[in-house]
Amino acid sequence: MSGLRSAVFYQDPKAALAWLEKAFGFELAMLLEDAEGNVAHSQMEFGDSYVMVGQEWSADHKSPKSVGGKNTQTVHIQIDTDLDEHFARAKAAGAIIDAEPQMQFYGDKTYRCRDPEGHIWTVSQTVQAVSREDAEAASGLKITGWR
Amino acid sequence: MTSKVFVALRVKAPPERAFAAFVGEIGAWWRPNGLFQTTPRAPGVLAFEPRAGGRLTETLANGKVFEIGRIRAWEPPSRLVFSWRQANFPPELHTEVEVRFEAVGEETRVSVEHRGFDQVPEGAARHGFPDQALLMRLAEWWQRLLTSYRDTSA
Repeated sequence: MSGLRSAVFYQDPKAALAWLEKAFGFELAMLLEDAEGNVAHSQMEFGDSYVMVGQEWSADHKSPKSVGGKNTQTVHIQIDTDLDEHFARAKAAGAIIDAEPQMQFYGDKTYRCRDPEGHIWTVSQTVQAVSREDAEAASGLKITGWR
Repeated sequence: MTSKVFVALRVKAPPERAFAAFVGEIGAWWRPNGLFQTTPRAPGVLAFEPRAGGRLTETLANGKVFEIGRIRAWEPPSRLVFSWRQANFPPELHTEVEVRFEAVGEETRVSVEHRGFDQVPEGAARHGFPDQALLMRLAEWWQRLLTSYRDTSA
């Protein structure tokens, strides 16, 4: 199937699999381990999509933990219900909170956090329909492709 | 240690039904795969003998019965473990499959863990694949099997 999927790299991918389930409710859909117990490949599902969770496997595939906390992309989690409950669960699991839940001009409530190895995750729930005109007025941006 | 291939999905049925369908209807939802041929013959029909120590058999078109494995743990409706061997495995090699059924609300999360496939030696059963490619193909096959099981039976 066509679509976008992200691979996220960890120093300890097995710990990440457990943490992502506990914090975000992702479900392990596929895991390949070699005879030494190393993670060769994994897929964690959420809604209609999944992320691949893997080991650092080259000099250019690194966990933020190995590169001073830097991120060059983030994975965004879109949910249908109860962002505050999602936030509480992530926080209880040890997520480091970068931004508490707050309303955005485009009608979503969002928060932002880091997992134990420093990957940044954004989480969002649409709670209000906002017209393009209202979003432009609120943000001062010219908006194309508003849906 | 041994290699592991794990796949899981949810089915819209309670564990009792999910377990019964997995065991009782394997002949209907099973999908053979040329890479993981159980026998050199055309694929037959799979069936479990539903009890501790029962066999997993494949009945071929000519009436012959091939034993794929035996049930090593029989714990309905939550857990099933059986051995798995193909005719092209060395005689002493038995890989192992563990199936778990966990209630999640009104659904059941069904997971399969297939252990020991890295021990398949060079030769007919491996198709020249290195470990990781072999395990990936095995995982993809189990995903298709579980999808078929979900859509056909559970």
